[in-house]
Amino acid sequence: MEQFESLLTCCVCLDRFRNPKLLPCQHSYCMEPCMDGLVDYVRRQVKCPECRAEHRIPYQGVQGFPTNVTLQRFLELHAQIAGELPDPTAGQVMERCNVCSEKAYCAPCAHCDKKVCEDCKSAHMEVLRREIARINNQIRRGVNRLQDILAVVERNTANLQTNCGAVAGEIDEIRKRLAKALKDRTDFLRTEVDRYLATELRNLTHLKDNLELELSNIQSNCDLADKYMNDDVEWEDTELVDTKEIFLKTVEFLRNFDYEAGDYNRRVRFIMTHDPNQLVMHVASYGELNITNPNAYSAGLQQSQGLTRSKSDHRLATQFRQQEEAKGYMENDEPILGGRKFGERRPPPPEKHTRDYGATDDYSGYESEHRPSRRFRSRFVRSHQQDNDSDTEQSARVVKSEHKEKEKEKVADTEDATRGPLSGIFRLSDCPRVIQRILDVDSGKKKEKKEPPPPPKPVQPAPQPQRRQPPVRQQSEDDEITRLKRQNKAREASSEGESDEESVGSLQRNQRKSSVQTQKPTATRRPSASDTSSTHRPSARATSTESSASTESSGSAVKHTGAILSIAELKAKYSIDGPSPKPISRILSAGNERSAPVTTNGTASGAQRVQSRFVGSQRPTPAPAPAEPAHEDSDTSSEEETDSSEESEEEPATQRKPESQAMARSDIGPLLARSTNARNDAHDNKNKDTPAQTRYRTRQSSQTEEEPSPRYGATSSSYSSRYGSKPKDEELTSSLDDESKYPTARSRYLALKERRNRLARSKSSHTGFGAGDDDDQDEPVSPTTASPSAYLAARYGSGTGGSELSRSRSSHALKSRESSPERPVTGEKDGAALSSWARYLKNKYGSRGKDRDTSGSSSSSSRRLSLGLPLRSANELASSDDDSKNAAGSPISPTAATAAVAGFAAAGSSPRSQYLQKRRLQFSVGSRGSEPGCFTWPRGIAVGPENIMVVADSSNHRVQVFDSNGIFIKEFGQYGSGEGEFDCLAGVAVNRIGQYIIADRYNHRIQVFDPAGRFLRSFGSQGTGDGKFNYPWGITTDALGFIYVCDKENHRVQVFQSDGTFVGKFGSFGSKLGQLEHPHYIAVSSTNRVLVSDSNNHRIQVFDVNGRVLSSFGEEGSEDGQFKFPRGVAVDDQGYIVVADSGNNRIQIFHPDGTFLRAFGSWGCGDGEFKGLEGIAVMSGGNIIVCDRENHRVQVF
Amino acid sequence: MAALPRRIIKETQRLMQEPVPGISAVPSENNARYFHVIVTGPEDSPFEGGLFKLELFLPEDYPMSAPKVRFITKIYHPNIDRLGRICLDILKDKWSPALQIRTVLLSIQALLSAPNPDDPLANDVAELWKVNESEAIRNAKEWTRRYAMDN
Repeated sequence: MEQFESLLTCCVCLDRFRNPKLLPCQHSYCMEPCMDGLVDYVRRQVKCPECRAEHRIPYQGVQGFPTNVTLQRFLELHAQIAGELPDPTAGQVMERCNVCSEKAYCAPCAHCDKKVCEDCKSAHMEVLRREIARINNQIRRGVNRLQDILAVVERNTANLQTNCGAVAGEIDEIRKRLAKALKDRTDFLRTEVDRYLATELRNLTHLKDNLELELSNIQSNCDLADKYMNDDVEWEDTELVDTKEIFLKTVEFLRNFDYEAGDYNRRVRFIMTHDPNQLVMHVASYGELNITNPNAYSAGLQQSQGLTRSKSDHRLATQFRQQEEAKGYMENDEPILGGRKFGERRPPPPEKHTRDYGATDDYSGYESEHRPSRRFRSRFVRSHQQDNDSDTEQSARVVKSEHKEKEKEKVADTEDATRGPLSGIFRLSDCPRVIQRILDVDSGKKKEKKEPPPPPKPVQPAPQPQRRQPPVRQQSEDDEITRLKRQNKAREASSEGESDEESVGSLQRNQRKSSVQTQKPTATRRPSASDTSSTHRPSARATSTESSASTESSGSAVKHTGAILSIAELKAKYSIDGPSPKPISRILSAGNERSAPVTTNGTASGAQRVQSRFVGSQRPTPAPAPAEPAHEDSDTSSEEETDSSEESEEEPATQRKPESQAMARSDIGPLLARSTNARNDAHDNKNKDTPAQTRYRTRQSSQTEEEPSPRYGATSSSYSSRYGSKPKDEELTSSLDDESKYPTARSRYLALKERRNRLARSKSSHTGFGAGDDDDQDEPVSPTTASPSAYLAARYGSGTGGSELSRSRSSHALKSRESSPERPVTGEKDGAALSSWARYLKNKYGSRGKDRDTSGSSSSSSRRLSLGLPLRSANELASSDDDSKNAAGSPISPTAATAAVAGFAAAGSSPRSQYLQKRRLQFSVGSRGSEPGCFTWPRGIAVGPENIMVVADSSNHRVQVFDSNGIFIKEFGQYGSGEGEFDCLAGVAVNRIGQYIIADRYNHRIQVFDPAGRFLRSFGSQGTGDGKFNYPWGITTDALGFIYVCDKENHRVQVFQSDGTFVGKFGSFGSKLGQLEHPHYIAVSSTNRVLVSDSNNHRIQVFDVNGRVLSSFGEEGSEDGQFKFPRGVAVDDQGYIVVADSGNNRIQIFHPDGTFLRAFGSWGCGDGEFKGLEGIAVMSGGNIIVCDRENHRVQVF
Repeated sequence: MAALPRRIIKETQRLMQEPVPGISAVPSENNARYFHVIVTGPEDSPFEGGLFKLELFLPEDYPMSAPKVRFITKIYHPNIDRLGRICLDILKDKWSPALQIRTVLLSIQALLSAPNPDDPLANDVAELWKVNESEAIRNAKEWTRRYAMDN
């Protein structure tokens, strides 16, 4: 049997024969790769490995050798007898693996979007598994936050209930009180009325009685008098007198009695103290529910935000993605995994269409148009051209588009049930594929026999696998790594699940159905999901799964086209929305921001609310904009006070400025004076380059327009309002600035002072000014001279250009120093030199500089220059002009740009203009790997003596040191927790005596090494107490050797003496001024200002060395001066601040006072592009070095 | 590094499972294409009793090109030079993909029993072998004792 076996074995591959080809010498070999490999292409021969006979290759190639049919029969027979499984690769064609370029049976790999061989694929899958495991760990670590939030939500629920109960009780109480008061009053009024009625009535009755009596008396008297007061009766005289008297009295009474009608005319009137209508209204709305945002509630929100930023490195991306996604939900209802079902192959990119059309239209006039895209057709596409026959393709597409809508529904049907409403993450165990997987594992062994072996994705007529192409990835400017990774994660499962999904077939359907029924029954499904297949399936659950499965098997291609379009839509959307992420909100808010910023909240659509749950209301407490400057004045230090007062005063009261500066000078210490100087410089610059400045302002104002947008919730940040209040004044006066400034006394003063500053500075940090032209004239003429700059240029090739040269001016300075004294010797000579200089300037700066065209100014400027004085006017002009160029992003020709760079750097203009030129990569160091000079997730970076670069090669658990040209010097450290060992170190710092100070992140300690890399000491352990750490991250030292550590998870900064003695700490968890949330990196300026990248608050905070907040700048966003999870922060010797704006994948440069200067960089892996920035540092020459984490390199600008 | 071809895996497995008598070949831990080989000196040859260390490296296009084999132990042999390089046709132009590691090593072992001074690599050795074979054999025995036996 064994011999039989060996007869069936190809002696080249030592495997069973595959497509055995018979050589004339009667020896057989597999056609691929064995026979293929034997071919001597030069001589068109095949040399038999067994007998060394040489045979000419037939015209058609080795294929032309006859197939050894007998052997094939034997193979089949053997397979039958041995019960072997058929060769899974039968009928496939070998291709070159796109990774190892080995010839093999390739299958598309979802990880790298290439067709790769089995081995590479399994390696990739292993990578994915590891990544999943890692991310899973991170999730596990992060999930307790969710639980915390759950607890908070529960607590909030309870709170809400008690709160509402209390309020309801209160309302009842009030109602009762009101009712009682009403009733009491009513009763009172009514008794009053009654009483009044009674007394009046009584009086009236009494009067009536009296009157009646009187009337009768008088009447009887009258009658009596008529009857008897005559002669008939004998009346005595007295009697008559009395009678007369009585009658007189009666007359008098009658005459006088006057019923005082008024007395009883008093009508009772009911008078309301309040207008009854109003009273009714008052009562009707006698109270309202004021739903405030109490602290507890917002804290909950903040925590939920904390969740979205998991601890992982991917949180930026996650959050970014969620935002994008939220938008997606709003506009497109774009689900997670880009609309695919879990485990599905990624749909082919839309590019394919053009390609196909190009193919069909080969002969037509469109050809030329399509040629470029057709050129993209990869080898494997061509090799399956039969499948891709254009006609079938198109007809198929028609069908697909018909089904598109339905398919989409189905996609949603299968996995939406348990979809997390917040993140869009669904439960994996509900995906039919996953169920299938798990089932397979559970009932594994016995079924294994029945189950066909998981074949690598067969190359089917269905175009699906072939159409998968990288472009999906290329479109992903908005993508971020996590997103990819997450997709990868899903796709890995898919690549596992892919293969046998179809082939498992009906055998397992029943089983699956039953298992599916055991799954937790989920929400109601639309019964319409599949009317064809659902009829005989009782459970809704089973229905949907089944339908998806059937879709899978019957019309997978169909589904993919559906998805194509959705991706295309998505793309279109992104291409519109991508660059400016929130045009909508801008539009929304633009209208009413001036009138009522708060009400804009009301206009927020539902989707935006979703966003705002993630984003909103973490702003600091609302502060009325006008009050802000005052507020800031009050609670910042004196230094800052002068600053802010300057700021607030600068435009309206220009004359007062010198005073304040003088005050600053005189009142405060030299340190502050220094910083004031620096600020003044910045300030002066600001004044000078008004064009840029105005642009900046308008930018600011546009920024403020956005500010109240619903994205940010109702509250507007105090910072924004601070800025927001400013531009209006500034815009008013900005036009004044450029014309009216210089004639004023103040400007003269400023100019003087500035010149002084410049002189001082040029002495200290800049070499002679003559260096510039020397340099630049050198550059074009002889790039191959032996000067270091030339060396550099040669070494780093095209990417470096003139800036490199200019930076090496230290070497040239000598030369220029020598030459410059000669210049002013004679006037004539001077003039000659001047004219050449002027010509040079003109060359360099092109048509600009009308001042310089006039010989007078040019000569004066150049004289000053040749005297070693700062070339102020020319510089200023140039710099401002360059400002405008840069800021406008006008396409400057590279040569001009480099020349300008060189000119400025060399001519000793302020570093600001140097920074303005920053955008071009000088060089980058490293790639992924563990060899010296390679990195795995580099994080912290620091500049040591002689501009050495010290890099925390985090996941290689070592520190690497490079010289300033990026040449590897040494490394030290390895994985572990012992002395001199690291566990994912993060921050590095080098102190004045060259000691390395390392934040050993996962060991929660700081280690100190001597300049040779030998371990000196370590301090700290995990904890929250003083001198303990929780994932220490960034680290830095100041001039006195104090060590500042960003204690990230403790949300604070700790300060130590250089021997590790705890000195102090500042910061606590929160988003208020002076509070920190995940501070990552830290830097100390030469003026002893401590800058902390307060990452999760999206700002940079500035402290003094005692931990008092001086200022803070930045907020969340991607405009200039805004951040998304800023990480690295560095400050140069002039106080300019460089920030690695990690979430926006760019570097931002700020003036020492925190105003925006410049930003550059974008997402990607090219030069000057970033994926996840980490530490940043500035060399003494102004070079910015930054760790580009996901690209595993250090870039130097 | 690219994944290991199946053939190498198979060969390695077979070398482990059915070792050739007098030959041991163990792949290096960190490079599966690199083998530590020990060949015993064949009987009735001046190298009898010696244990010769060799290194064997399978190049990228193996089996289409021959493995690289070199003696590490010093050996006095007309077809093996001072650096341990071996003059053997199947390692050069006569290589055939049908050959395997085991066959190569067997050939080398055979070369030890049958030195071929007419196709020399170490010229002085070959010269002596031709001129005074007995002395050459004595030298070979001496070298074997000195370099291939002490441990």
